[in-house]
Amino acid sequence: MQKESGFLRQELGRGYGLVFQQAWPAWLSGIFLAILAVMLFMWWHAWGVAGGFANWGDWFYHLLGIYDSSPEKSIFLHGMSVSNIGLLVGAFASALLSRQFGVHRAPKFEYLKGLAGGALMGVGAALAAGCNVGGFYSALGMLDLGGFMMMLGLFAGAYLGLLYLLWEMENIGQGATGGQHVDKNKGTDWSKAFPYIGGFVFLLILTSFQAYSWLGHTKMGGVLFLGFLIGLVMHRGRFCFANAFREPFMTGDSTMMRGVIISLILYALGAAAMKWAYIQPPTAGIYHPFWIGSLGGGLIFGFGMLLAGGCGSGSLWRAGEGHLKLWLALAGFFLTNSPVSKFIDQSGLSEYLGQGIFIPNILTWQGGLILFILVLFGLFLLLRWNEETENFVAF
Amino acid sequence: MNLEDIQADEVLNARGLSCPMPLLKMKKTLKGMKKEQILEVLGTDPGSKNDIPNYCEKHNYNFLGYYDDQENFTRYYIQIQ
Repeated sequence: MQKESGFLRQELGRGYGLVFQQAWPAWLSGIFLAILAVMLFMWWHAWGVAGGFANWGDWFYHLLGIYDSSPEKSIFLHGMSVSNIGLLVGAFASALLSRQFGVHRAPKFEYLKGLAGGALMGVGAALAAGCNVGGFYSALGMLDLGGFMMMLGLFAGAYLGLLYLLWEMENIGQGATGGQHVDKNKGTDWSKAFPYIGGFVFLLILTSFQAYSWLGHTKMGGVLFLGFLIGLVMHRGRFCFANAFREPFMTGDSTMMRGVIISLILYALGAAAMKWAYIQPPTAGIYHPFWIGSLGGGLIFGFGMLLAGGCGSGSLWRAGEGHLKLWLALAGFFLTNSPVSKFIDQSGLSEYLGQGIFIPNILTWQGGLILFILVLFGLFLLLRWNEETENFVAF
Repeated sequence: MNLEDIQADEVLNARGLSCPMPLLKMKKTLKGMKKEQILEVLGTDPGSKNDIPNYCEKHNYNFLGYYDDQENFTRYYIQIQ
């Protein structure tokens, strides 16, 4: 018996080390992310982040008395809000379990950049009808042509954002915080308890899933749980769309974008199987404004994510890891996303931004899927070539 | 080589900065340094523990290693080849 318990302890230790001590490669996180995104699509609908921020913003302005009517759904019953909460908590648990959690403070100017970057992302996501997740990742997963336009906008915005950061380095001096002084000889070293607190958070999420079920909202419970797993996967792989769009211009590296490409192909194939078999309607998730909204929104969003140091999903998981700058980015995001989305809807501007175009409607299922994969393969080759030549690197 | 004994030629303080600023500043600083010189980077962003060694490996810099300082930040050492 002692031998068996020793074996079990050894195997559990090995598993823990594998999952929470070593960083996951981008391609592995990309594969897991695609599986979770497909599961979320099967369980509920296409994964999105910005819609959840809009809901938080709606509530914020309503509670301040600026919006008369109260939002239709509470933050605990609005699907994207619930998956955002799950993502944030999942990253928090993952950061605790891997002992990477900490309250990371930043110089004052960085906080300003976080807020401004978040505000720009909120505007960009309103124009593109989604952030890097809804407007790009899920849009392409659903085979909506607007996703490709947002991709171009995100590359252009990330390039301009990088040029700004280079200018800032030359022209605006800023002091580092000097880190946080922690005297480990005094008081309790909480970091030893982090993995246990992380385990407790995991149990809390399972309990919440069950509680949703008891209250007759099993679907939302599942969304919370899948969001939690997405947060965990993104944190362990440090899966970052801002990195994917920025690095080809900053260092030439395309490791993260290659992870995104693998993930997109799997996501699109999984979602296509469900749509083709009518498990979900073929036009589900097809509403991204091709081409002005997606391109312009991507451009503004891309610039904003470079300032903030995280995109829609990246800001969430980094906030869960304890970065105060990214908490401000989240605040900036919902403060602008809610009113700008309302303005676009009510002013009739949405008519000029474009409309969703389902790729298989133009090219048939077979042709659409082949072209989709070929475009992404072309991007892969272009990025590999750039890695060798650094032709696109800004400095 | 014992990392704690290294006398760096230049020190880059990136404490409190998050991705991408530590790597961006490091890249710029390394470009201005000479062969054999050593750069010490002080950072607090957990992502730097992957980013800095990866960058050095791909760009032919000699990454000497890192260690966590008592005061809750990490010291990284990079040598120009």
